[in-house]
Amino acid sequence: MSALIFTIVLGIIVLYLGFLKKKAILAPVAIAGLLIALFLSLKDWGLGSRYFHDMILFDNFSIAFNISMIIVTILIFLFGIDYYRMMGLHVAEQYALMIFALTGAFLMTSYSNLIILFLGIEILSIPLYVLAGGKKASFRSNEASFKYFMLGSFATAIFLFGIALVYGASATFYLPEIKIYIAQFNGHLPPMVMVGLLFILIGVAFKVAAAPFHFWSPDVYEGSPTIVTAFMATVVKTAGFAAFFRLLGMGLLPLPAPLEKALWVMTGLTLLVGNLGALKQTNFKRLLAYSAIAHSGFIMLAMLSQHSSSAKVLLYYTFVYSLATVPLFIIFILVKRASDWQEELVNFRGLFKEKSWIAVCMTILLMSLAGIPPSSGFMAKYQVFVLSISQGNLLISIFAILMAVIGIYYYFFVIREVFTESKQLNPIVVTRLNGALIIVCSLAVLLLGVFVWNLPI
Amino acid sequence: MKDISSAIQLIPLEHYILLCVTLFSIGLMGVLFRRNTIIILMCIELMFNSINLLVAAFSAYHSDPSGQVFVFFVMIVAAAEVAVGLSILVMMKRNVDSVDINLLNRLKW
Repeated sequence: MSALIFTIVLGIIVLYLGFLKKKAILAPVAIAGLLIALFLSLKDWGLGSRYFHDMILFDNFSIAFNISMIIVTILIFLFGIDYYRMMGLHVAEQYALMIFALTGAFLMTSYSNLIILFLGIEILSIPLYVLAGGKKASFRSNEASFKYFMLGSFATAIFLFGIALVYGASATFYLPEIKIYIAQFNGHLPPMVMVGLLFILIGVAFKVAAAPFHFWSPDVYEGSPTIVTAFMATVVKTAGFAAFFRLLGMGLLPLPAPLEKALWVMTGLTLLVGNLGALKQTNFKRLLAYSAIAHSGFIMLAMLSQHSSSAKVLLYYTFVYSLATVPLFIIFILVKRASDWQEELVNFRGLFKEKSWIAVCMTILLMSLAGIPPSSGFMAKYQVFVLSISQGNLLISIFAILMAVIGIYYYFFVIREVFTESKQLNPIVVTRLNGALIIVCSLAVLLLGVFVWNLPI
Repeated sequence: MKDISSAIQLIPLEHYILLCVTLFSIGLMGVLFRRNTIIILMCIELMFNSINLLVAAFSAYHSDPSGQVFVFFVMIVAAAEVAVGLSILVMMKRNVDSVDINLLNRLKW
């Protein structure tokens, strides 16, 4: 809880530093504050403290996810030092909004009451609507922001309607009580609860961009400023899945048969749409958006295979995925600057000749996303498949493995472009910090795969 | 408080549910089919308010105050969301001088 409060205060401090025009110390203050928040979260480990009449429960699950999100946010802020250097105005607001979104993410991992889940989703989303429109003069950014806002609030309305129906039937917002209420029907739920649960699941599935509700994500990822895209692809996705997992584990499982079938179909569709959609992309940000959808499919597979180790696999998968995605966006921005702000895949040509160490790092990161051993992406996928096969979901596992094979094609397409000989327009300029970030993340992705096979929860 | 709850209970619960589902569907159809972004914002508000009404009615019928607290949260969040939405709309209007949603087609596939 102290971490949550501290993060809110940190956001306000950063905002005021912006008013005082102290641009140089913004990022250091934000990063130092996040490190303190990290330490404060660690102190709560194992206590399982409850707040606000059991509306918030900080168990090890939520603390582990909070720590992983804080680490990824620190990486993004380190990237932000270089990214925002050319931007004169409103830098403090960008950092502050990201910190506020992070507090929403904390709520999403630690709720045990539907009210807090709703507040968490909204505290996460509303800053993101603003951040997505961060480039005021660019119409693409406006469009991304408005699309995200409109579809996001539409999904929130559907989600709220689901909560209202469940509340009407069960007279409570508290998840364990809802679980008892659902259990007494033995799988034959009254239609009102069934519709309510379906609407709640639709609302959460929208936030994690699972397949029939993924249409916003490529547009929003492409139009938003790159650092915000990195934030959305990593922290927001992690928070969404933590919330989804907690919702299922704390409240809704065992799901009634029709809903469970719907979730399995959603998983299959997410895998199919993400991987097939990525095949024909020529814009790197859109490619990563579809890759994010595809990874959502794998994570859903782990989430639906109910086992005591599901949470561990989920944490490992999201953390490793985030670690590989953030440096890819850094490399993308470096290449984009060198090629006159073009975002196409062909702009990666000649990268190996220009800066061979970046090309090697990029290969490692993309291999991790594709799931090639010995990278940690392979370990994550391997654990997901082992988990889902051991729970008897053989058909969907085979399907997911096939889709992972398709995934290798488009990741290696990018690698091929990186190693193709060509003349870059301008030399690639790498600041020392960005270079260190890229190398450290690549090493971490490699070493986690070799030495660390799961993270503690 | 007691009086209001009993006054709400004078009308059967089914009527509240029907009214709220109707309002919600009107809002939903508006979001899906109208082309003017301001009307879409209004329809989203309509959806939120139908939910508020529904939760308030349920709360009176269950005589459980937590539903009414939830309504306050929803109202606050809806207000914040509309503030952000309108500012995004103004930003868009400055760039293209229109509020037609069909202009949002630069990003696709």
